[in-house]
Amino acid sequence: MPVISLSVNGIPVTAEVEPRLLLSSLLRDHLGLTGTHVGCDTSQCGACVVHVDGKPVKSCAMLAAQADGTQITTIEGLAQKGKLHPMQEAFRDNHALQCGFCTPGMVMMSVALATEQPDLDEAAVCKGLEGNLCRCTGYQNIIKAVMAGAKAMRG
Amino acid sequence: MEKYGIGQPVRRKEDVRFLTGTGTYIDDIKPDNVAHALVLRSTHAHAKILGIDGTEAENMPGILGIVTGKDWIAEDFQPMPTKSAVNKKIDGTPLNQPPRHALAIDRVRYVGEPVALIVAETVSQAQDAAEAVEVDYEELEAVTDQVKALEPGAPQIWDDIEGNFCLDFELGDKEETEKAFKGADHVIKLDLRNQCVTATPIETRGAIASYDKDTGKYFLQNATQNVHANRDTFAGVLKIPSEDLHHVAPDVGGGFGAKNSGYPEPSLLLYASKKIDRPIKWISDRNESFAADTHGRDQATTVELALDKDGMFLGLRTKTIGNIGAYCWTVGPFTPTGGSARTQGGPYYFPAMHYTGIAAFTNTMPLDPYRGAGRPEGSFQIERIVELAARELGIDPVELRRKNLMPADSLPRKTPMGLDVDTGNFPEVFERTLKMSDRAGFAKRVADSAAKGLKRGFAIAPYLECTGGGPKEFAGVKFARDGSAALRVGSMSTGMGQETSMPQILSDRLGIDFDKITYVQGDTDATPIGGGHGGSRNMEVGGSAVLQCANEVLVKAKQIAAHLLNSNADDMELSEGVFTDVKTDQSVSMVDVVAASFEQSRLPDGMEEGALDTDTIYEREIISCPNGCHSAEVEVDPETGSVNVEHMWVVDDFGTIINPMLADGQVMGGIAQGLGQALMEEIIYDEDSGQLVTGSLMDYALPRADSMPKMEMAFFEDAPTAKNPLGVKGSGEAGCCGAPPAIVNAVLDALKDDGVLHIEMPLTSEKVWRAIAEAKAG
Repeated sequence: MPVISLSVNGIPVTAEVEPRLLLSSLLRDHLGLTGTHVGCDTSQCGACVVHVDGKPVKSCAMLAAQADGTQITTIEGLAQKGKLHPMQEAFRDNHALQCGFCTPGMVMMSVALATEQPDLDEAAVCKGLEGNLCRCTGYQNIIKAVMAGAKAMRG
Repeated sequence: MEKYGIGQPVRRKEDVRFLTGTGTYIDDIKPDNVAHALVLRSTHAHAKILGIDGTEAENMPGILGIVTGKDWIAEDFQPMPTKSAVNKKIDGTPLNQPPRHALAIDRVRYVGEPVALIVAETVSQAQDAAEAVEVDYEELEAVTDQVKALEPGAPQIWDDIEGNFCLDFELGDKEETEKAFKGADHVIKLDLRNQCVTATPIETRGAIASYDKDTGKYFLQNATQNVHANRDTFAGVLKIPSEDLHHVAPDVGGGFGAKNSGYPEPSLLLYASKKIDRPIKWISDRNESFAADTHGRDQATTVELALDKDGMFLGLRTKTIGNIGAYCWTVGPFTPTGGSARTQGGPYYFPAMHYTGIAAFTNTMPLDPYRGAGRPEGSFQIERIVELAARELGIDPVELRRKNLMPADSLPRKTPMGLDVDTGNFPEVFERTLKMSDRAGFAKRVADSAAKGLKRGFAIAPYLECTGGGPKEFAGVKFARDGSAALRVGSMSTGMGQETSMPQILSDRLGIDFDKITYVQGDTDATPIGGGHGGSRNMEVGGSAVLQCANEVLVKAKQIAAHLLNSNADDMELSEGVFTDVKTDQSVSMVDVVAASFEQSRLPDGMEEGALDTDTIYEREIISCPNGCHSAEVEVDPETGSVNVEHMWVVDDFGTIINPMLADGQVMGGIAQGLGQALMEEIIYDEDSGQLVTGSLMDYALPRADSMPKMEMAFFEDAPTAKNPLGVKGSGEAGCCGAPPAIVNAVLDALKDDGVLHIEMPLTSEKVWRAIAEAKAG
């Protein structure tokens, strides 16, 4: 089995992985990082989005072996020293989550969007979130939260 | 305290764990030594099982056991009876109810029906073994459409149930209604479908079962909306006392009805966990959830409206045939019968109404409540026929609605369907919605759309619905010396935020620090009874139980405060967490009263340490009537048929609002699911083979961020109900009642010059394009 080395939320990880192991399974089942959720089996829902070298990736659509040498950030790694990331704070302020199941992927995708396009508008948020499904909120508060979070990230 | 009181948009307690990835959903729980289960499901819609050979599979690596229907019957496990409140036919005989076992015994009746449980060390091993289980099927003819299922010569799903007929039902006055139709100047008739959809929570179902052989007790962790009723169901299946099954729901990732019912899998897991003496986990995959989560709606309806020459409504006649799938499931037969009947006619004044509903068996996954369960269908039926009447009679649809709404002074009123409408102001809610909708700017927006080659339409849809679910609820509070309080409630949030809104009520009433209130739900050991969630009952019944509990605490707290101040309980007033004697102005804080409740020397005679701890059960007498009005503006591209919902305006009368931020969330979430049904969602079975066509998120479309309109919401709070002490009416299902008719009617308004009078949901671009083309061809 291939041995991979990567950094997850700033912590070096070395793991022996089955070639077919998905990155989402590595995170959830091997590293105990259950904040990354799996809501489908066809890479549609987006609940499993994490950052791989700063880019948003659906971790159910990437093999763990492909993550060798990368730096991964999951939802657990977003808050720093007990302080919520501005995007997490914006989601809370704007009631942009209900059941919370899509939330980790939604927040990770939103942080990536706001990083790539600091001045994004609502249309860009909608386009950027087209791979993330939410069944509870009706999205309006998510869009508001992403706008507010992006603004807070700009400082 | 006011910051956290009733009516405040308090930020949610649960959000911090959900936002940091530290929530605990069922798949996040990993007991030591856990084994994994896979449910082998029927690949046929209708077939005899001639035999199941698991020999090869049993000997594959990691396989711990395989359970089939034969094993199940040998154990004499019991079927799961339906709890449909409507359980008799019109002739008074009981509904036709086939036995629903956790596993198919000798025949499968829908694609996805459980055929065997495979338990293995890993999920992959169970998947590999599933390939090796040989099920010998003899295919039978299938029928997946409820109208066809009732036709003579249709395939018989149950040998002893003739014609696939479960039950029929009627409500209202048939003779009066016939009279109204005879005397009418106009009768408008429409056949329509409320298509089959499914709830699709983003977390799929799943459960973990274990058995403790030392105590003889079972433990079930389950992504469910209802731990108590389902505990009793599973205990009944396994023939064990309910107290031997501890049933807990962890954080649940959405439910919308689909996690409410007594599913087969938990009983299978409980049985197998005892057999192999290990905890067993099963997590549904998404594809499995489309086949094996209960479906919703699916009614074929004829609705007729009688009007006089001035356009006043005289009578309404609705006949519906509801699909309930292959079994009665938990409450399936109720939806197309009593469930859709109660709110017939919406908020309009009808002198006479008559409703007939039939529940029919088909070879599909059974149907059970989905957000609204009958009320969205009723709302769609009335709003479509009213819109059609306006079109056919050349009356402005806004005007036709306005003149027929129940006048404010007609309340309280019992509708011809027996619905007790106590408070509200339908005309006021309607006018406020219209005002929000910027009708003055519509003509310009139509012109702007036309300049882009697009057609713009508008529709307004007032709705009236009702609550449901179990009438009783438990709330209990236990204090600690430091003034903190542990609140336990038997109703349940699967995302709606009761972990925040229930403590809000307690904090508001008792002046306890909001941050010092913890909340427990979804645990059969924590509350003696519990109705879970369903029928928008959480705040109505659960919240009322919390209020009742708080009131009972307050009586005792006043006695303690009076004792400490050497005065009378009647003179105590609580404000901002401090009791003050209105006569002497002496005061003592609630925190101190709580501390005193743990010191016998500071308690009045007759009270013991822990005196403030209180358990209570609230019981609702009459269901409430949430109501409101939606309006929608849409753009349709006639070249492609694509629909864009531009804007929605909503005014809701939910009675008292506990947390407006959360109530807004319920409205918007309901609109999204309503929009999904209006425009894109549909469970489709292949007519011939009975195969599920929409078995993944690539085939079953859900609304995305860019599907949604701008939504503007307001609450009408001038008419709280007296049916419960909080004055709340329930908010969870309203969006699904208002949005589909508002959106569909707005599309038809956009196409009025094309002569399109009706399109069946979902209004996909293909259907809209075809409707335009067909109307053009005449």
